[in-house]
Amino acid sequence: MGEKAEIIIGDHLLIPCSRMSTLSNKTGSWRFLRPRYDEKTAPCSAACPAGEDIAMVEMLTTQGSFKEAWDTILRENPFPAVCGRVCFHPCEGRCNRGEFDEAIAIHGIERFLADTAARNEFKSSLEKRPPRKEKIAIVGAGPSGLAAAYFLTMLGYACDVFEAMPEAGGVLRWGIPEYRLPVSVLRSEIARIEAMGVRIYTGKAVSSDFLSKAQDEYHAVFMGCGHSRSRKLAIPGEDLEGLEEGISFLNAIRRGETASVHETVAVIGGGNTAVDVARSIVRLGGKAIIVYRRRREDMPAFDDEITMALEEGVEIRELLAPVRIDGTGESYTLTVRAMRVAGTDSDGRAAIEPAGEESEEIVVQKIFKAIGEEAAEEWYRPGERGGQQLTLSNSILVRQPDGVVVAYGGDLTNDVKSVVHAVASGKEAAMALDILFRKGLDAIKTELSAYVVGSGPSLSMEIYMAGPRCERNHHVVAYNEINIDYFHLSPRITQPRLLIDERKKTFGEIDLKISANLAIRETERCFNCGLCNQCDNCYLFCPDIAVCHDESKQGRHINYDYCKGCGLCVVECPRNAMILEEEGQ
Amino acid sequence: MIEIRFHGRGGQGTVIASILLSKALFQAGYQVQSFPVFGVERRGAPVEAYVRLDKEPILLRTNVYQPDHVVVQDHTLLQSVDVTRGLKAGGWVVINSPELPANMVPFTGFRLAYVDASRIALRNKLGTRTHPIVNTPMLGAVSRVFEMPPMDAIAAAIREEVPRETERNLKAAQDAYDEVRRVGLIEHNGAS
Amino acid sequence: MKRVVEGSQAVAEAVRLARVGVISAYPITPQTHIVEFLSEYCANGSLNARFMRVESEHSALAALIGTVSTGVRAFTATSGQGLALMHELLHWTSGARLPMVMAEVNRALAPGWNIWVDQTDSLAQRDTGWIQLYCENGQEVLDTILQAYRLGELVNLPVMVVLDAFFLSHTYEPVDVPDQELVDSFLPSYVPKFQLDPKDPCAFGSLVTPNVYMEMRHSIALAMDDALGCFSYVEDEFEKIFGRRYGSVEAIHCEDAEIILVTTGTVTSTSRQVVNELRAKGEKVGLMKLKLFRPFPVHDVRMTLMPAKKVAVIDRNFSFGSGGIFAQEIRAALCNAPGHPPIYGYIAGIGGRDVTTDVIKEIYRKTKNSDIPEAESVWMGLQEV
Repeated sequence: MGEKAEIIIGDHLLIPCSRMSTLSNKTGSWRFLRPRYDEKTAPCSAACPAGEDIAMVEMLTTQGSFKEAWDTILRENPFPAVCGRVCFHPCEGRCNRGEFDEAIAIHGIERFLADTAARNEFKSSLEKRPPRKEKIAIVGAGPSGLAAAYFLTMLGYACDVFEAMPEAGGVLRWGIPEYRLPVSVLRSEIARIEAMGVRIYTGKAVSSDFLSKAQDEYHAVFMGCGHSRSRKLAIPGEDLEGLEEGISFLNAIRRGETASVHETVAVIGGGNTAVDVARSIVRLGGKAIIVYRRRREDMPAFDDEITMALEEGVEIRELLAPVRIDGTGESYTLTVRAMRVAGTDSDGRAAIEPAGEESEEIVVQKIFKAIGEEAAEEWYRPGERGGQQLTLSNSILVRQPDGVVVAYGGDLTNDVKSVVHAVASGKEAAMALDILFRKGLDAIKTELSAYVVGSGPSLSMEIYMAGPRCERNHHVVAYNEINIDYFHLSPRITQPRLLIDERKKTFGEIDLKISANLAIRETERCFNCGLCNQCDNCYLFCPDIAVCHDESKQGRHINYDYCKGCGLCVVECPRNAMILEEEGQ
Repeated sequence: MIEIRFHGRGGQGTVIASILLSKALFQAGYQVQSFPVFGVERRGAPVEAYVRLDKEPILLRTNVYQPDHVVVQDHTLLQSVDVTRGLKAGGWVVINSPELPANMVPFTGFRLAYVDASRIALRNKLGTRTHPIVNTPMLGAVSRVFEMPPMDAIAAAIREEVPRETERNLKAAQDAYDEVRRVGLIEHNGAS
Repeated sequence: MKRVVEGSQAVAEAVRLARVGVISAYPITPQTHIVEFLSEYCANGSLNARFMRVESEHSALAALIGTVSTGVRAFTATSGQGLALMHELLHWTSGARLPMVMAEVNRALAPGWNIWVDQTDSLAQRDTGWIQLYCENGQEVLDTILQAYRLGELVNLPVMVVLDAFFLSHTYEPVDVPDQELVDSFLPSYVPKFQLDPKDPCAFGSLVTPNVYMEMRHSIALAMDDALGCFSYVEDEFEKIFGRRYGSVEAIHCEDAEIILVTTGTVTSTSRQVVNELRAKGEKVGLMKLKLFRPFPVHDVRMTLMPAKKVAVIDRNFSFGSGGIFAQEIRAALCNAPGHPPIYGYIAGIGGRDVTTDVIKEIYRKTKNSDIPEAESVWMGLQEV
């Protein structure tokens, strides 16, 4: 040992005693592996089309920092209150906790934070870049247009939003039923966007020559007009008097033009519109039958919505393809043919074919068509008039022959028609336009790849704006990289909801609020994959006392004079926020 | 050397009685030793405790097998416990009882005394009807029957060891001293 | 002043008089009364000590190892299974050279569960480096606790003061409880030879390589040897103040004795009476009381026993596969002395069975009537089962 390890005191008293400071033993010289703090990417955030920093949001919520958690969402998504209600939360499907017991209720926490912000009138404190000279015109005040305006404003651009309808919101205002998204919630989110300086001109329909005239005033245009026209069934009888389009029916309800329904109604289609229509009919007093060509599991509508529709008494008839409609105005006969599954479609859903020659007649008093929507005008879509075109993940940029750059986003360019995808396209377009103005069209693709969350395609505005998140390793933490010894099984919170009987009678919001206590308890379950939550395990386990607390943001650092590279800290880090590397690499 | 055995039930203060008596005897100039039956204490179960006294230092550190006298704190024990087990001929049996035992045969050859210590305890507000505190009155009776130790030694021991309701305990001991009935030697066939 | 106190109370009174700073113990019958008295003293302020409640005997001793390392006088008490649970830390205490005192109320080991007296528990710890002193009555318990602090602190070794369950721990008898000033003059406050001190940081008990461990063990051996002489010195000092001394062994009527009984604990007291009775009948019997067991007083034992024709050792303990433990030790002490008397080993009073005068007399008669020991250990009073 080379050290004096014992002393003699008095007669016949020989005991091991050391007065040497261990500081002289610089065990760091033994090291050939080097631990360091290395925060990584949580799978939920990579799965979120808006790239929300979910693990951080949950961590801040656990700490009771609700405002900071809410701000963290706002950095990536202008609509926490909306998405906390209507998002189909792909994040939860990727949650590592799901492999342990049950996924974190990320969706419910998002709503909790938005509601808490509203109740406490939090004012968001987001970084904004200095103003720039370029002005952007945005066509359509739906989620993609508003998101584009929001992020462009954040980046310093002046934005004018043109909306044909008398109020902003697009599908959020006119399509999604009140029981999923109360109008007051939407209005307060839009008000916050306007308060940033975004100008919204409602009742201003834009004509087809707008794109060519825009260059006088605007440096770019964002097209986010959405899909508002129902697709055709292309079967006989489709245009009979009294057959209605689902989307128009939902519009009418949101306009307040509702009549009670006491009839049996068939809804043709399997998307969210079809389910919304069916559930609205139940609320108006009718009976709804959804008729769908494929199986329930192939329906594009969100699974939760289908489940709740069934709970509320909606009937789903699957594998039935409409072949004709006959009717008088009082009663309609929907003739359907039974279908069967024959392999898999290109998009992963069941491919179908007629099961035989037999057909069935379904007699109802009303029929709604809801097999999907499309752009109301041809010119809303890119690619018709030539010019240089750049296709990104959720948006398409086109440099018109006359020089104006038009960015197309939202449902116009997204395969999945969801609010969060609309937000993603608005964000992507905003970043793309910013890069365009600074470095040119050619730089966009390469530049954007630096701002992805994990391996993409979700983009992070915080990373783009060089916030703390840009330090994050893009590695997405896998379940087997979590040290589950540090977690106890605990059940996920149950989202409180209106009773089914009450739901059938009212358009009142179904999902009820959760308390701060419940929210904190739920977020405590979060692994915080890849993030340091200051648990101090590294400090506690370090056998060389080489982990030292300090005033830095990390709150601690490793003293490499004494760290011998044993790796205990990395092994005992519950959430993979550290890494062990070979020395000198 | 004289050996005295106390019979009682768990919770009746039997062990305390033996300690009080040994302290009083020590005050009175005796060498003493007292100890309970060595075992597990349970409320209500029959218990025993012992006192040894001598003018010389006591060397013996064994159980008591042949006591000179016996003190019975609860006459209901007579039905279940052989209280005269090993008792030397002519030894006193002092019983807490309102009257003479119905069956006198077991006491043949011994001297009997009885005192209604339960009534005395209740009269002096010591304990409850179901659980009268009889150990201090029994000591008063013992002092009279054994003619040792004197009542002032008993009183001094009570003052030292019984911090609560001391005066009432002293009064109860004196009452028992006054009221104890010394029946004397029981001849053959249980007659006195 | 002489007062009638329970044996357990004699222990507690001594601990109070020794001005112990920290007590940690876990209750176990028959040690319980000691701990109850002490917690009461701590609560009513008659003892200014910290009473540390712990979840086991192992923790109790661990707490005191820390305590004494900081230079504070400490006390614990236990019995039977509790002592067995402490075993690992018993070694630690002596190895770390931490003086402390433990009252060990001898209790039989389970199973079957038995709360009564049996010395196997303390004797099973004879190799742990603790000084062991066995007591006969309440007075000796009180005095020995005081001596134990003085002795342990002189040689930096822990001391176990051993007393019989119930026959001593639960028995009331007159004991002279000395005044505090007298005790203070005998037992000064503890001045540690080393201690943990934040102002002068150091580490104790660290890794020791083969090149020095042996020397450290040897130093404990030497300290144990020192304890023999130191005990005599402590008794001298004690006698000056209190007028009482016990000796590592006490020889009673041994000068001309042909047969010497060897006893420990309360059996000694009863045996004194038996020897008195037998002497009165003209029997040449003596009695050697063994008080100090570790370190073993080989010289005193030899001096006392060598002149006898026969030695009868009464063991209230048993080492399975060997015999009564005191008998083994006596044999070991005498075997290198040429012409030593034969050693008769008797096992009596195991698990709380009474060792009456009749049992002791029977042992004497058996010894007298046989020329050579009939067995290494003769079990007394075994019943047909």
